[in-house]
Amino acid sequence: MATDALKAQVRSKWQDAFKRINSNNPGITGLMAFSEVGHAVVHEETTQHLFSKQSWSHTLAFVKPINIKEDPPPKRADITTARRDFEVVNYCRRLPSDWCLDDDYMFSDEIRQKFYLVREDIDSYLSDYELSKDLSHISRLILRLKEWYDAWTPPEELGATIRNAFVLVFQTQLYSSLGPTFVKGFKDLIASTFPSSDPDIPSQTLDASTWVIFETLGFLDRYENIIASAGYEHIEAHVLEACAGQWETPMMDTLRTWMSEKVVPWLLLMYGRDANTTDEARALLSTIGSRFDFHVAKTLCDLRTREIFDIIVDYPDSAGALQDLKECLQRVDQRGALVKSLRKANRKRLLHPGAETRLILTQYVATIKCLRIVDPPGVLLFKVADPIRRERPDTIRCIVSNLVGDDDSGDSLVDESEPIVPLQQADTEDYTDPNWEPEPVDAGPDFRTNKPSDVISTLVSIYDSRDLFVKELQVLLAQRLLAITDDSTEKVEKERRNIEILKIRFGEAALQVCEVMLKDMTDSKRIDGHVQSQKASIVHPTIISRQFWPMLESSEIVMPGQFQILQDQYAKEFSTFKPDKRLRWLPHLGTVHLELQLEDRMLEVDVPPLEAAFIELFSEKNIRTIDELINAVGSVDKSAAFKALLAWVDLGVLKEDEPGTFRLLEVAEEAGPARDSSSRIAPTTEQDLAPVTSLQQQQAEQMKVYWKFIEGMLTNLGQLPLDRIQTMLRFAPGYDQTIEQLAGFMEAARREGLVGVKDGLWKLTPR
Amino acid sequence: MKVTVKHWHAVAQWRWDTGNEDDSGDGDDVCGICRVAYEGCCPACKVPGDDCPLIWGECSHVFHMHCLLKWIGTAASKQQCPMDRRTWVTAERKVAKTHS
Ligand SMILES: [Zn+2]
Ligand SMILES: [Zn+2]
Ligand SMILES: [Zn+2]
Repeated sequence: MATDALKAQVRSKWQDAFKRINSNNPGITGLMAFSEVGHAVVHEETTQHLFSKQSWSHTLAFVKPINIKEDPPPKRADITTARRDFEVVNYCRRLPSDWCLDDDYMFSDEIRQKFYLVREDIDSYLSDYELSKDLSHISRLILRLKEWYDAWTPPEELGATIRNAFVLVFQTQLYSSLGPTFVKGFKDLIASTFPSSDPDIPSQTLDASTWVIFETLGFLDRYENIIASAGYEHIEAHVLEACAGQWETPMMDTLRTWMSEKVVPWLLLMYGRDANTTDEARALLSTIGSRFDFHVAKTLCDLRTREIFDIIVDYPDSAGALQDLKECLQRVDQRGALVKSLRKANRKRLLHPGAETRLILTQYVATIKCLRIVDPPGVLLFKVADPIRRERPDTIRCIVSNLVGDDDSGDSLVDESEPIVPLQQADTEDYTDPNWEPEPVDAGPDFRTNKPSDVISTLVSIYDSRDLFVKELQVLLAQRLLAITDDSTEKVEKERRNIEILKIRFGEAALQVCEVMLKDMTDSKRIDGHVQSQKASIVHPTIISRQFWPMLESSEIVMPGQFQILQDQYAKEFSTFKPDKRLRWLPHLGTVHLELQLEDRMLEVDVPPLEAAFIELFSEKNIRTIDELINAVGSVDKSAAFKALLAWVDLGVLKEDEPGTFRLLEVAEEAGPARDSSSRIAPTTEQDLAPVTSLQQQQAEQMKVYWKFIEGMLTNLGQLPLDRIQTMLRFAPGYDQTIEQLAGFMEAARREGLVGVKDGLWKLTPR
Repeated sequence: MKVTVKHWHAVAQWRWDTGNEDDSGDGDDVCGICRVAYEGCCPACKVPGDDCPLIWGECSHVFHMHCLLKWIGTAASKQQCPMDRRTWVTAERKVAKTHS
């Protein structure tokens, strides 16, 4: 092996060394003295050897990387001689010289040159593995690598330096030869050592010696991340399998038990192998253990975050999952992700145009309840709710309907058992409150602290102002009160009780208008009692205080014939009773109970005033066109007129002979009218129930007043962003619309082609 | 065909008869003192109508009674109508005229 040049080099170095040690003393006396200081090992015989040109080559021969496939193992008999060489070599290593680096280099070079032997083995095992995907090839490869390692390791006698040098060069060569295929196989091998959650599948156990091999080959340090990620992936798989869709009970404790029973023993094998005592093991495990525990929390948190929408749908059966989420969120900062996930799910699954408001609210109330568990301060809720209130303003109406029990579904959004609490004054913070806490850091500027409150209060607090609720409540109450056609004190009393309850929430003052509306109902009944006693009438009006009722749909119709007379008679009697007041009829509102006597039949029906007016007109003349009828009652929308006429067609009283011309059927026609009479029973549309203008319509009405203002603004200033328009409108007298209302109005104006918008800037459409 | 009205649940608003027969519009006539509509109520009241009646002056001005009485009670009023500074004289309502 050693070339002549190498031998010469070695010899010259030994001579240098000798000279230095001997300190130019005669013979070897200096060397002897040096020896006496500490090392008895150097005796005369070895000193002779020292100069032997074979000493180093012996050493090199001994540590020479052999080919374990062919070479016979080095003869043990040589060891005694060799050891002497080592001792000398070792001894000389202690000298302050740099020549030993060179011999390390020589030795390292040998390893590098011979490493192709190892590489051949690696390639062969890995190609077997790639073909079969059988992890046992990886196991065997690792054992084989250990054989190479053992065969090439310099004996301990040679000292730590050369061994370290060997380890370094061997591992460097090894890692550069182990490609991604090995890394993947190794990871799978590690993964296969985890106890399976399925007890029928035994996990592949690696005995402790395998782990020692890993350590020896440096895999544990080199592939620490690979091993950890195998551990993480194992945890993820287990969490998904054990917890996905399992929402009833909290899973965190079960997972912790699993960790301590299944994962910790593995961790001990892996990271605790150096520990001699339990305490040492605990210390070793504490860092890595908490990393794994964190990963469990994070994985569960991610899972619950993905599932959040359905968890809310399932509430209260999903209380366990919410408990988990709460606990995880305290460890893992995923609040932002939760909000994002829920908002996304809401947008996709809840706020699409086809979704019923009622459904939205139900989910929304569940969201409130769920997020109260997860995040009592309510920051998350506020962030999640924001799109709901922006995109679906009609939720207010739905909430209010529910509040007054005017909900077809019959079930209440609110727990009956939940105590009713007054709404909080949203914008005041009571710093003297001993329980006051600063708002959470992610609260954001719009957030208003929601102290624990009931669901309705929370619902209402999501909206900017309770005034909206009160206005909507007024509208709804008006509809309900005007729908009471019989003189039912009971129904009015029921509304009164409702309002009493709502006063607790909204405050007495806010509901004062409702009080007046209810008083109008009782007053009307009292007045009617008096009027009837003076001059009996079949008219029984509800007389309202116009300033206290929501804006009512206006109508210009004039009731014909006997209706006009009935109205006038009643109004006259009223003014006799109340000399300083007079009545102004709202002729399109109310219900008329009529009896029709036809040639062959008699009919009793309850109809809206317009239908009554039309049929009254037919009693004078039995064929009429729609235009004629509209003229006769003053002014009415053509579609409304059609609807009223078709109602009579459905009853078989009128017939549309030709488009727009109707004839009274004094004698019923067989085989029925053109239209199926069953449509009469069809559910009443909202229009039927709503003589009262909805809040949105009202707002649109109010906005029209400001259109001139906006028009002037845009004429003079060109184009403006919405918030500028809003700011400038504040100068308009009495302007009280929110920016959302303004946005809605501008959008309507855009649809009518009055304005255009580009990049958020509004401008007038040129005419 | 004979149409017989058996029962009519109608809806009406009450208005103060301010003597102004111009019944044309929804124009809200307001009390010159509190600027609230006559059919509303004065700031001190919660319920309109008989509980917060109007008062007519000989000068033809009309106010919520409570508003006027409060005004008259102040020294600054000098017992004058706040609109025209004529001495306030409450008018007799000519009830007979309104529905003759
Ligand atoms: Zn007044
Ligand atoms: Zn008053
Ligand atoms: Zn006056």
